[in-house]
Amino acid sequence: MVRLLSRLVPFAIAAIAIVAAWWTVILVFKPHVSLLPPPAHVATEFWDLLASGALLTHIGASLGRVCSAWILAAMVAIPLGIAMGRIPIVERMLDPLVELIRPISPLAWIPLAILWFGIGESGKVFVVFIGAFFPSLVATIAGVKRIDPVLIQAGQVLGCNDKSSLFRKVVLPAALPSIITGLRISFGTGWAAIIAAELVAARSGLGYLISNGMEILRADRVLVGMIVIGVLGVCFDLFFRFVQRKISWGAA
Amino acid sequence: MEAVGKVFTTAAGERVEALTPTSLDIDAGEFVSLVGPSGCGKSTLLNILAGLLEASTGVAKIGGRPIHGPDIDRGMVFQSYALFPWLNVIGNVEFGLERKRVPKRERRDIALAFLASVGLKDFAYKQVNELSGGMKQRVAIARAFATNPSTILMDEPFGALDALTRRSLQKQLLQIWQQNRKTVVFVTHSVSEAVVLSDRVVVMTARPGAIKSIIPIDLPHPRETISDTFRNYERQIYADLESELAKSFALEGHAEQ
Repeated sequence: MVRLLSRLVPFAIAAIAIVAAWWTVILVFKPHVSLLPPPAHVATEFWDLLASGALLTHIGASLGRVCSAWILAAMVAIPLGIAMGRIPIVERMLDPLVELIRPISPLAWIPLAILWFGIGESGKVFVVFIGAFFPSLVATIAGVKRIDPVLIQAGQVLGCNDKSSLFRKVVLPAALPSIITGLRISFGTGWAAIIAAELVAARSGLGYLISNGMEILRADRVLVGMIVIGVLGVCFDLFFRFVQRKISWGAA
Repeated sequence: MEAVGKVFTTAAGERVEALTPTSLDIDAGEFVSLVGPSGCGKSTLLNILAGLLEASTGVAKIGGRPIHGPDIDRGMVFQSYALFPWLNVIGNVEFGLERKRVPKRERRDIALAFLASVGLKDFAYKQVNELSGGMKQRVAIARAFATNPSTILMDEPFGALDALTRRSLQKQLLQIWQQNRKTVVFVTHSVSEAVVLSDRVVVMTARPGAIKSIIPIDLPHPRETISDTFRNYERQIYADLESELAKSFALEGHAEQ
């Protein structure tokens, strides 16, 4: 608990610094309230959205999309990454494809996603899938390849004669810390991608909340959305780091 | 175990001849060291015995049966310890026992007994990365003996340790070996380590690897490293090694001219 608090202190300081800068800008430039409202306005809007339940609905919508896409991405990326890390011919065949698609931002897939899936749920899940897929894939490949060969040999002379037992008893546990790191990063990139996807085509979610705020000239609503996105992103990351410490052996 | 000995005839290496066809018989329960300059094929030979490498010619046999791939009947201790960092100390020692389907209770008792014999019973539930190098290697030795293999192959196991730790681990290894009489094949760079531990010392030549001489060490344990007879054995081995080194330097000199 004390550890958790000490981790939160830097975030609190950062938050105070942002609010201070925000106030300074308002005092110096005196912008119109529809462009940059004071923090108090934003806080009020936050409470209103929270009280009406709208905020939680939007959070739930975004989170549901991210979770399902993230799980799908993990289910494909981890087995594929292990195959690419362990079997040279699979890597030689698939690596060029991966390298070709990886630099394309998940946001660049949004137009195709809309064309293919419309503005329903599957299009957004698809975009997040693209965003979440590559970090997990790359981390899994790296984790599997980085396994000290002497550990494999030790497993072999200790009775893992067949590939499947060697895999279960040595390869998988040895690569697990990297895989979990990949999953954590994937969730972050997925979270970033869903907001973008919802900006363009959605009727719910935090991204929709922001773009709707822009359309009705409610900068306070836009800011509430942005702050919630940031705070939740930090919370997820802390949660994953906590899980990582609990279940993996080599984690930082 | 019906092993009376190992017949070893092999040549390895894909183009580079790491090991010329070599024959060596080792008796069951014997402690044999392989010494020689770097690149003399002693680790190659050990890996063939482990089944981690295939011999390109000849057959390595154990107890009359040819070696095919790694097997839990041949334990191995590596220079870099090779402990599984995701398991705790006792988990590492139990690993091979679990693969042999030893029941859980029995597994724990065996593992604790072997940890006790290397003086690490109190560390059974520690994490591996909390241990020093010497302690890690003691765990690895316990792990290798716990599965009750016929043969234990040791690849420069004490090479990364300081001199004092090395001495105490040599003593512990001898103790555990005297209690559990396994055939041990021990690769080392250190002549005095070989003389302290072995029944026979096999001196190997530089590339391509071959056996230069086999020197039986006829001294009772524990061996006094400062006695004259001990020194004589060391001298004899160094003499064999040095003529070998001189030869390989001469060869390299020729090649350059």
